[in-house]
Amino acid sequence: MQDDDKQISIRVGFGDHVKELQVVLPNGDIPPYQPGDKFELVGQSRSRVDAIAKVTGRAKYTYDQSPPRMLHARILRCPHPNANVLSVDLEKARSMPGVKAVLSFADAFRQNSVRFAWDGVAAVAAETELQAEEAVRAIEVQYEPLAFCVTREDAMAEFAPQVGRRNQKNTGRIYPRTPRRRGGGVDEEKLAEMLQRMEDDEKLVAELLGESDKVIEGEFDTQVQTHSPLETHGVVCDWDGDHLIAHVSTQGTFGAQWEATHPRGAVRAESAQILCEYIGGGFGAKTSLGREGVAGALLAKSAGRPVKLMLDRREEHTSTGNRPDSQQQLKMGVNKDGTIVAFKARSWGTAGNGLGGAGAHNDNIYDLGAIDKVEYGVRTNCGGARALRAPGWPQGAFALEAMMDKAAAAIGMDPIEFRKKNDSHAIRPHQYDRAAEMIDWKTKRSAKASSDPKKRGVGIASSMWFASGGGGARVLVRIHRNGTVQVRNGAQDIGTGTRTIMGMVAAEELGLDLAQVQTFIGNTDDPRGPTSGGSTTAPTITPAARLAAHRAKEELLDLVAEKHDWDRSDLDLASGNVVRKDGQPLATKVSFKDACELISDDTIETVANRPVFGRRRPNYEGFSDTNAGVQCAEVEVDTETGEVKVLKVVAVQDAGKVINPLLAESQVSGGIVQGVSYALFERRIMDRQEGRMVNADFEGYKILGSVDCPEIEVELFDVYNGKNNTSVMGLGEPPVVATAAAVANAVSHAIGERIESLPITPAKVLSALERKERRG
Amino acid sequence: MKPDVPDGQASCGRSREPLSAVSRRGFLKGAGATVAGVGLLGPTAIAQEKPEAGGVPTLAAEPMQLKLRVNGVEREVRAMPSSTLLDTIRGELDLTGAKRICDRGSCGGCTMSVGGRVVNSCSFLAVDAIGQDVVTIEGLANGDKLTDVQQAFVDYDALQCGFCTPGMIVACTALLEQNPAPTRAEVAEGIAGNLCRCGTYPNVFRAVEAVVRKRKGG
Repeated sequence: MQDDDKQISIRVGFGDHVKELQVVLPNGDIPPYQPGDKFELVGQSRSRVDAIAKVTGRAKYTYDQSPPRMLHARILRCPHPNANVLSVDLEKARSMPGVKAVLSFADAFRQNSVRFAWDGVAAVAAETELQAEEAVRAIEVQYEPLAFCVTREDAMAEFAPQVGRRNQKNTGRIYPRTPRRRGGGVDEEKLAEMLQRMEDDEKLVAELLGESDKVIEGEFDTQVQTHSPLETHGVVCDWDGDHLIAHVSTQGTFGAQWEATHPRGAVRAESAQILCEYIGGGFGAKTSLGREGVAGALLAKSAGRPVKLMLDRREEHTSTGNRPDSQQQLKMGVNKDGTIVAFKARSWGTAGNGLGGAGAHNDNIYDLGAIDKVEYGVRTNCGGARALRAPGWPQGAFALEAMMDKAAAAIGMDPIEFRKKNDSHAIRPHQYDRAAEMIDWKTKRSAKASSDPKKRGVGIASSMWFASGGGGARVLVRIHRNGTVQVRNGAQDIGTGTRTIMGMVAAEELGLDLAQVQTFIGNTDDPRGPTSGGSTTAPTITPAARLAAHRAKEELLDLVAEKHDWDRSDLDLASGNVVRKDGQPLATKVSFKDACELISDDTIETVANRPVFGRRRPNYEGFSDTNAGVQCAEVEVDTETGEVKVLKVVAVQDAGKVINPLLAESQVSGGIVQGVSYALFERRIMDRQEGRMVNADFEGYKILGSVDCPEIEVELFDVYNGKNNTSVMGLGEPPVVATAAAVANAVSHAIGERIESLPITPAKVLSALERKERRG
Repeated sequence: MKPDVPDGQASCGRSREPLSAVSRRGFLKGAGATVAGVGLLGPTAIAQEKPEAGGVPTLAAEPMQLKLRVNGVEREVRAMPSSTLLDTIRGELDLTGAKRICDRGSCGGCTMSVGGRVVNSCSFLAVDAIGQDVVTIEGLANGDKLTDVQQAFVDYDALQCGFCTPGMIVACTALLEQNPAPTRAEVAEGIAGNLCRCGTYPNVFRAVEAVVRKRKGG
């Protein structure tokens, strides 16, 4: 506890569920928003501050930048899924018309092998795109093609070709993770303990399964999903001496700056300004500068001119990350009273030629009793995984929620009652009934099967997430003498509305309307902000914005109190005026603008860090560490064609304190759309003979379009979580967790047969119906 | 099912018809004789035919000066015979609202209106736009005054990252011109060629419905 840390009592919760907590305010923080607080702006639906730029086409994305004398760059991609690169001859390309710079990945990244088709090999910058493309074709590469495998099954087969290098096996355990010593090497002692624990868990769960009334089993498969942001990865780079100025389509401006300036990195700029005011989607794929970013910077340096390097759609699909597939073998022991006593999970997933990120989160959300869980990663010669909106969760939820339905059916319990019975979350148990009401669960669940070939069904699934934010953000608030206000943070808004709500919490603090503050983002010359990952941006930036605005307000009110000889502690700002906290009128009316005229040295400028306790536990205890959600889906399945249509999805979603319901609902609704898309359509298809992705475009890789979009109803659960001073919880990822699971459960309700594999294609529906018929 | 369209004009979504009787190949073969001349300027205007070894005439890859009417203004641009309308307008005029997202007519991010019809400008040659009114997202608003469709997109938050938004708005604007009172299913059908990865479709529907209500005086 530091000197300025102060212990106070706060109220946290929602509706009738409010409790008091004793918390210590660190770093001069202000108390969190609490139930009963009066707001003028927070909690209102307001359109995005950048909406007009976006609807008029004036918003300039990285892809839209074209500084004078700009060159265009392209990357040479390897056609082989596994090969050693013996030589790269750039000479012919260098002498092609218009070519100004060339580089090989062997030089830039010391990469002498390719491990998936469409991995990069070299890059060229030329006057026109066409010239760059032609020059790329002129690069001569000698490959030594190696045997490969591109599916999980092939990689796990006996005598499968080795995907990795050195002693890397194709399959490796990723959970529980092998303990390592500091500085590398396996910690043998801890490893022995861990192996013992695994053995004990396995034994215990086997015993409990043996004793439970029913044992439910399931084997689930999910597909590889690509992020498919509409703006591909890319950069527009320029140099001023050793200073790099780069527009990057990125979810992490400061991460990109770190990479570009790191002394052991490939770019090694002395300093760098990263710009990204607008980004055309990322969904987790754009958290690093990427090889395309490095290549763009190096080509620009070598050519002495600005270079634009944007990937094309095929490159985007193949080489910029994906959600790994999974095979999950699950067992659940359940007693007749509805209690889950034990859960066993084994899973395999491929995250490309690495192992990280291939797990499936199938053992969370509910109270599952004793758990025995092991996850394996499987190396394949495919593009590597990157976090994709709730990495690991939608695939895990799909399997877990199917098991929940199967278990409920086995003991003759309603699926919702069964879930409630095994759910000890602080918030979620209060959401089930509302979600059920919104979809008309009772009527639809008990409807008799009709003779119509189109069958309807409803399903339910839950979600959780952890995002109350952390450190790493600083916001600058500047009040100018003429009354204009700037709120600045250098991180990015990836379409979530962070920029808007950053402005809203600052405006609220200053008693202004949103239109009276200007917001600035996406420029590393402004104060530091987080990478947008894990739904942490809003709960990380907004508390810093609120605190910075609060401090600016205090400075301004000091001037007002001094001038009028008023008691400073009576004063506040509201509705564009200086007001008394007790609501009594002031002797003289002083507007915000009047107050600003008292500023003698042009501006009040305050910077606030996001208050934190420490790295391990950055936030207050709060009402709940996790935010909760429940979704229900209604589907119609055509039993003649196998086509599934999702008619409606309803979501009850807790996002902590909702700053802007309009934008929050958009987040939830968008997550649902992606979830339906994942459930029914999306699937990377690899050609096992050639080792390439065959559907690396938007015809073969189908993302949900308008015609397939269900009706979506969102109800936000406003929870004063008290985890940080705005009580905000992140909302990017939670809504996508439950959707595919709810859709799959609805399909099995509709047709009376379960499909344990995503995506749910017409072919799978028809074969499920056939299976059901054969069984009689 | 893709409609049978001439070579070089990709299918443009369900509701879109073939745009012109002149195909890219037809133009290239007959340049100078049939289409060229309308709006082509100067001595480099007519692409020169050079017989190749096999005797098949092809065009030299020379940029030409073209006149295009974009957002109501006559503009001179340089374009290759093979240049798409999208690349020409983005590269030559710095009107960057329309995006190249899939580059093959399957996402609608490059949607423009040409001669009153909606096209995927990534799959439409610049030369084919000669003599026709080209309208891009930048040509909709009147100065700072948004159109009712743009305003509805703002009000109903029919956008997130905003990358598909220009194409989406051009498509919705055209849809409402053809069908002033579309049902929700007709709106969905009308923008079937416009993909949005953030999943804003429900709000796009709401925005279009709000415009319909407002235009009816509601």
